[in-house]
Amino acid sequence: MKFKAFLTDNGINLLEKRILPALDKMGKICHLYFTRDHAFFLHNLLNSDGVQSIAQFKKESLFTDYRISSQNDDKIAFSIDLSLLHRALRSILAIYAESRDFNSNGLQIKVQIRRRPGRADLEPLSRADVQELQLALEVSQEMPATLVKAPDLNLLQNFVDRMKHVGDVMGVTVSKYGDLHLQISTTLITLGAEFRKLMVLGERANGVDGDGNLSAQTRIERAVQRQDAMTVQASVKHFFKCLQYSSAKPDCAFYGIAPQGACLIVIFQFFIPGTRQTDKSISLHCRLPVLDPGSN
Amino acid sequence: MSSSAAVETEAEAPDLVCELDSVQGIVDALTSVRWKRHQDAVVELSEHGIVIIVEETGCLQAKVYLQREAHGRPRFGASLGLFVDCLNTFSVPGRSNILELQYPGPDMQLLLRSVDSPDACIYAEIRTRIPETISWDYNFEPAGSTPLSFTVKSAALKEAIDDLEWPGSSIQIKLQPTPPSVIFKGEGHGDLQIDFNYYANTDLLIAFSCDRQISHRFINFHLACHATTTLPSASTDFANHRYKYKFLRATTSNIPSSVIRDNRGSKLTIGRGGMLKVQHLVSVAKPSIPHPHVDSAGYQQPSRIAYIEFFVKPEVEDESVNDS
Repeated sequence: MKFKAFLTDNGINLLEKRILPALDKMGKICHLYFTRDHAFFLHNLLNSDGVQSIAQFKKESLFTDYRISSQNDDKIAFSIDLSLLHRALRSILAIYAESRDFNSNGLQIKVQIRRRPGRADLEPLSRADVQELQLALEVSQEMPATLVKAPDLNLLQNFVDRMKHVGDVMGVTVSKYGDLHLQISTTLITLGAEFRKLMVLGERANGVDGDGNLSAQTRIERAVQRQDAMTVQASVKHFFKCLQYSSAKPDCAFYGIAPQGACLIVIFQFFIPGTRQTDKSISLHCRLPVLDPGSN
Repeated sequence: MSSSAAVETEAEAPDLVCELDSVQGIVDALTSVRWKRHQDAVVELSEHGIVIIVEETGCLQAKVYLQREAHGRPRFGASLGLFVDCLNTFSVPGRSNILELQYPGPDMQLLLRSVDSPDACIYAEIRTRIPETISWDYNFEPAGSTPLSFTVKSAALKEAIDDLEWPGSSIQIKLQPTPPSVIFKGEGHGDLQIDFNYYANTDLLIAFSCDRQISHRFINFHLACHATTTLPSASTDFANHRYKYKFLRATTSNIPSSVIRDNRGSKLTIGRGGMLKVQHLVSVAKPSIPHPHVDSAGYQQPSRIAYIEFFVKPEVEDESVNDS
């Protein structure tokens, strides 16, 4: 197998300042998966535990002169320690910055994969594993019918951080009216936050007029009854973990519930710098496992 | 209320409706009386406003007074930790700071609601219980005709008590007239004595009172010490009692950092039988007009300050008042 590519300035910046530090918070170890057109950073796709995270980059957003070949349809995947990668990148940049006076050429960082026979920890994934990874990736592309735009991420992060002291499990409801509702409910306390009239992508519906006077809880219950909303139970810690991606400085985030309530999805979008257009070459989203309603 | 659309028609208006602002300040004030994980609090209204009382039966009691406009005179019990953690979720920076409290809800819950805008709100319902009877063991009475009290910079008090963990023993507090001083002493697997000398540490030991005529308001810097007036000999202490370390520690362990920053003083008073009363002032809100310096005189509107009181029972032993 062969892989060789050069990181662009944009790629270096993106990875070192935003992407790697954020992904590291999801988990130190992840899979790095290269195909002919894309580079992926994948967390927890091969095991069923915890939050799945898919960071997808069109090769041009990170690399130039991208060359890949393998016997497995030009796909290569392996485990990587993100903190090591980040540290390596930072070191290169630091050395470059110091030696700037002596080397007027722009910095070129070459990324290459070399096999190290005898080192099991550095082995790329087998064909079978790559197949499994690809399959899991395809499944993870399934999007919810309705997505609502998240309120201010810092605010949400602060709030959920404090919610952690009150309970472990929260109900998350997304409605076609553009409502996002978070609620912890234990025998001693019910604590909730409701955000209404958020931007909706996908299937939408108009709220019922009389609903405005109801309490948040009743409003949500009715919306679910009308099948205009879905509620799933998620771990507060998982929810908070995904919010750590705000350190990657996305321009907005969307929440949705996968069909049949299979998982809770949060999608982070980046705009093309200087515009309000989504940069389709970068995609970052998380899929949170859904808990049994009785697990509170 | 429209009969068709409205679902919750409350059978009767709630007893308590009040608004809290500066929720973070209230969280700080209540946190100062958290000394263990599970504490049952009694919440009641009195002429002071809202009072929250927690106690460790037989040993320690704490009260937090929040001056608030409130309607109704309810009284209920709730978990202190849950109440504080819940309030904390309402004090997220960048949000509206007004929190509405209502009691009782349809199921005797305490209802909280904060409305950011018509399109966003945070709400909570906390289960309450019939409150425990507050024990009156802590009915504080002055020790004889001479009130025995001193005011120490809160930061210094906290530091002294933190240091006194080391001896691993109960702590002796002695008030001596000549020179006017307060001595904290621990004698365990090591000895440690911390002296606050009125003349030597004037910025730490702010007031020392043994004269009945002196006002009990401890915010006043200008009270003089009359300790040396009519007492016969230097070896007679005004007071000398021992307190279990963990209860003394509870009185300062969670003092909010705002108290340290605002340079406040804490007043300690020794009452009859050696009962120790520790009082703190906690700012609940930043003053709306910035003051160049906020000293313990704390020029702030009364509702911007929460009063915290701890009552610590002394260890039962022979109360000899002289020689150590």
